[in-house]
Amino acid sequence: MRIELNRKESLLRQAISGLRHHRWGWIALWFILFLLLATIFAGFLSPYDPYEQNRTKSYHPPVRIHLIDEDGLHWPFIYNYYLVDPIFKRYEPDRTKKYNIGLFVKDSTYHLFGLIPCNIHLFGVDSPARVFLLGSDLHGRDILSRLLYGGRVSLSISLVGVFLSFILGLIMGGIAGYFGGWVDNFLMRFGEIIMSIPGIYLLLGLRAIFPTSLSSVEIYLLIVVVLSFIGWAGLARVIRGMVLSIKEREFVQAARAIGSGHMRIIIRHVLPNTLSYTIIALTLSVPGFIISESALSFLSLGIQEPYPSWGNMLTAAQSVRVLTTAPWILIPGLFISITIICFNFLGDGLRDALDPRFKE
Amino acid sequence: MIRYILHRFINMIPLLFGITFLSFGIMKLAPGDFLSQMALNPLISSETIELMRKQFGLDQPWPIQYLKWLWGIIHFDFGYSFTYRVPVATLITERVLNTLLLTSTAAILAWLLALPLGVYTALWRKSLFDQILSFFSFATISVPTFFLALLGVFFAAKTGWFPTGGAISINYAALSPFDKLCDRFHHLILPAMVLGIGGLGSLLRIVRTNFLEMMRQPFIMTAKAKGLHSNTVTWRHIFPNAINPLITLLGFEIAGLLSGAAFTEIIFAWPGLGRLILEAVMSQDLYLVMGSLFMGAILLILGNLLADILLATIDPRIKLR
Amino acid sequence: MLNLTSIFIISGRLETIKYFIFIISLIFLLGCPKKEKIPVLKGSETPTYGGSFVLDSISDPKSFNPVIAKETSTTMITDFLFEGLTQINPFTTDMEPRLARSWEYSPDGKIWTFHLRENVKWFDGRQFTADDVVFTYNDLYYNPDIPTSARDILTIDGKRIKVEKVDTYTVRFIMPKPFAPLLFALGMEIMPKHILEPMVKAKTFNSAWGVNTPPDKITGTGPFMISEYIPSQRVVLKRNPNYWRTDKTGNGLPYLDSIVILIVPDQNSSLLKFQAGETDMISIRGEDYAVIKPTEAKGNFTIYNTGPTFSTTFLFFNQNPKAIPQYKLRWFTNKKFRQAIAHSVDKETIINNVMAGLAFPQDSALTPASKFFYNPDIRKYEYNLDKAKSLLQEAGFKNKGGRLYDSEGHHVEFTLFTNSENNQRVNIGNIIKSDLDKLGIKVNFVPIQFNTMVTKLDATFDWEAIIIGLTGGVEPHNGRNVWHSSGQLHMWNPRQAKPVTTWEAEIDRLFEDGATELDKEKRKKIYHRWQEIAAEELPVIYTVTPAALYAVRNKFGGIKPTSLAGVIPYIEEVYLKK
Repeated sequence: MRIELNRKESLLRQAISGLRHHRWGWIALWFILFLLLATIFAGFLSPYDPYEQNRTKSYHPPVRIHLIDEDGLHWPFIYNYYLVDPIFKRYEPDRTKKYNIGLFVKDSTYHLFGLIPCNIHLFGVDSPARVFLLGSDLHGRDILSRLLYGGRVSLSISLVGVFLSFILGLIMGGIAGYFGGWVDNFLMRFGEIIMSIPGIYLLLGLRAIFPTSLSSVEIYLLIVVVLSFIGWAGLARVIRGMVLSIKEREFVQAARAIGSGHMRIIIRHVLPNTLSYTIIALTLSVPGFIISESALSFLSLGIQEPYPSWGNMLTAAQSVRVLTTAPWILIPGLFISITIICFNFLGDGLRDALDPRFKE
Repeated sequence: MIRYILHRFINMIPLLFGITFLSFGIMKLAPGDFLSQMALNPLISSETIELMRKQFGLDQPWPIQYLKWLWGIIHFDFGYSFTYRVPVATLITERVLNTLLLTSTAAILAWLLALPLGVYTALWRKSLFDQILSFFSFATISVPTFFLALLGVFFAAKTGWFPTGGAISINYAALSPFDKLCDRFHHLILPAMVLGIGGLGSLLRIVRTNFLEMMRQPFIMTAKAKGLHSNTVTWRHIFPNAINPLITLLGFEIAGLLSGAAFTEIIFAWPGLGRLILEAVMSQDLYLVMGSLFMGAILLILGNLLADILLATIDPRIKLR
Repeated sequence: MLNLTSIFIISGRLETIKYFIFIISLIFLLGCPKKEKIPVLKGSETPTYGGSFVLDSISDPKSFNPVIAKETSTTMITDFLFEGLTQINPFTTDMEPRLARSWEYSPDGKIWTFHLRENVKWFDGRQFTADDVVFTYNDLYYNPDIPTSARDILTIDGKRIKVEKVDTYTVRFIMPKPFAPLLFALGMEIMPKHILEPMVKAKTFNSAWGVNTPPDKITGTGPFMISEYIPSQRVVLKRNPNYWRTDKTGNGLPYLDSIVILIVPDQNSSLLKFQAGETDMISIRGEDYAVIKPTEAKGNFTIYNTGPTFSTTFLFFNQNPKAIPQYKLRWFTNKKFRQAIAHSVDKETIINNVMAGLAFPQDSALTPASKFFYNPDIRKYEYNLDKAKSLLQEAGFKNKGGRLYDSEGHHVEFTLFTNSENNQRVNIGNIIKSDLDKLGIKVNFVPIQFNTMVTKLDATFDWEAIIIGLTGGVEPHNGRNVWHSSGQLHMWNPRQAKPVTTWEAEIDRLFEDGATELDKEKRKKIYHRWQEIAAEELPVIYTVTPAALYAVRNKFGGIKPTSLAGVIPYIEEVYLKK
């Protein structure tokens, strides 16, 4: 009844073939892959520079794309809108001129893969019109562009955080549960101390010691690294609880009888049996990192303006003013939620695929 | 068992010492102190600020400040809050009950719903109900609590069905005892639901997963093969094994009772501890933070201890030493 | 479910009562057909007694002791309870009598005599006398054991004012030299000697009247007294039946029975509570105007715009030689450089986008709200990047390939801080950064924690540029700590032993003269000159000042918009229209 996970190749194949049978997991996988690609090619896909301010287009609603003009069917075009009321942010279209949506247009310069300078964008319109597919924010910046660039930041930081804290959590929990006794006692008490440290204070402190010449994204990355070094404690406790019971099982006893080394038993025999829980916890914590970044933005401790991140975009939507007069600011929120749901479905599907005990 | 518990209690002392010492040090990492805010008031001279710093004892090196605080704690003196100029103990006890009311209602709500629903969806995997609940739990996991709370307040304001915040109405004092109870309940529903729903989603997933996993275990197969009644198998064999990781979670839940509701409390203007602590942390009100931290740490340790004891009583394979 | 029904029952009862009143009054009206309708309308404008006024506050009061606690959340409550000898007239911005009835001063301006009102009683019925005044100043404000910022306002060149009792209702203030802001300073709260003296003697005053004090122990002379405080929920104030002020017809004030201050977590919830009808008045941020304006008729309230406030937001550079590289110091101390930056602040965009159209550009060191001392005829810096470019060129900077270099070849680059908790400042910083980018200046805009920023500003001095704000007031002397070169808030180069520049020396002189000049018009000239220098030298570059907006339910009378005190200049005159 042991789980055989010897070759990486077979693990991947197993995952993919298993996922195919899990409809939602399969869709989620494609969505996440699409999202990762989209954030990698954010520069090409986004029509504008995420920092470009259009000062007379603050809180511009999403533009309407027209397909039909007075002569019938027409190449997709938009009108330019101008501000008629700065207090209520009302916009009126200028119907005298049509702006065709062009493909592969030249606009601001970006760096493909962070290296190759490039200025071709998938789509765009002639100035002064702006094709705000998802509207604009307070500074008149394109929300779609910021969403793509923000995803790059939020996703990569979350993945780093998850990776680090899981490695630590698994090892610490495994050791504590397997050896028991004073090792267990020491590690768990140590974990309790770490868990009791007030996170917000630690953040305040950390933000202040890092040099201010770093951007808030870099500081946040450092903070995530530090947080994962102390964030293993929660997972470790759960893993330890499971290991306590796994180590009494026959196959572990058997491995011990053969004379396998302790670390070998922990890594090869004990930890794989916690896999289903770990995978669920792992997929749940990618979104956890995204959400906690937004909660930190709520306390103005997260990634700071002008850098876009999903967290600070969601925080921008938390005022009554936005909820009532500029609801499109919520679109990133919706998008973030869908992403998080997808991570959850993926985790669900992966578990079904990887854990033989779940095979029908 | 009793020796074990005693042992853990003795362990608690160095643990508390470690936690408070570390936290105190970390707090001192952050630049400035409570009085920094006053430095930007043109009408306050730096001499006045220095005088206040001396009176608060903030002019001394931090290890000495820590020892003084520790000395106070041993004598059940939590010190004074700088902001409120009132003993910390008074401030905290005022709000602890409100917080416990909110968090325990939410936790009970979440656990009571999660256990039966999780078991049901595991037994009837891939049914329509399972899929709907899956979607629901994923959706609630995917929305930050503070955002859900904000939508809740917005909903209350738009419909007028619920108060937009607070724990009692303005005319509370004039109400009859029964109306007072109703009034409290009316204020409690929305924040408790927001908090409960936030916890329900992930709890539901974990219950369901663990249950599923146990159902595939060989000894369960054996039990079924032996022809035991499926209800007996479910409740006698699967259930006790499946809740093993949940017990550990329950420990966390107890630890989070005091601090877990900060965002909900803030947005719903709930007069609880979370809001007080957050304000204290932001303004570096040292002893208020330390006092609430101390209580939180005790609760965390007790929660973990309780979880370990429960784990041992339910799962016979685990021995406590 | 239960609670819902019970609430319906409660409101149902109310509706029935209202309905009966309506029927009864209808019968009454029908029964007297000869009466004109006008008296009824007029009657609604005559102040009547009773009713309650519900406000909100973003934060709990920290104490009920106004000598020690000066936070807005505390003074918002204590202002109802305590009074000073003088107060500012919110319409004229002149000082007017409050607990003092009148005053006169000696020809050399050093001895001021105040005659006190004889009909003022403390909440417990004790008579208010000169002993209370002398005690408050000598034993509280001047007591070295009591940490109070009030002492700083009352100190002239390091010396204190002598306060003496002349007779039961007369006190004398003797100063080392004439002190123009005296009347303003005497607006500070007078406290009851008979209650506080034992506490001062027992050295417990510093923790006296904290938030856990029973409400009836807190004794003042103001129009309202505390009736209950529930932490994090509300403060209830009740009418002081013995208040000394009366209305024109001799009826006792205040009209209202009670004031309720709800504690709300943030601006959002303040707005929602007002819209839900739970509060009667709120102060509105510009950005919320668009939300609340459309509901004005339905919600039966009126929005008042009382014009510019005293609140300022500004950008300034570090000119302190101790902490930054020499070449950067040379940019920041260059007047033309600062003027170029001032020309790149797009105030119109800040007003339209950040302040939602409800703000005013600010050029002078005083905002227009200061009225009397405000100088409108100073050098102004309109948004003009071409002018900024030519000013930079004059100052020796060169633009090569879109990047700006100084004459020694250093790329012009600096870090700009603001406190991350304040969205408006972060947004303003964003706009300024984007304009400076266009000039070829690289700005590393870093919003940081407030306390971190203050530590840099106040102790370590390792900063290059900062955006913050201060709130001023009517009395320009209050800005001394900022503008005098020896001040600790002279933020661009604090605590100078001797003024470094000639213009700082002149500002020092002006503030010293302004403090001793008793002639109003001459003082005005002095402070006008200061504003001229400030606008020419630009140690701080001002941006915008928000408009003050308030929404008040129409059922209340006695609402008078003022630029100084919002729409309620005198709370005791507010009444419920019947």
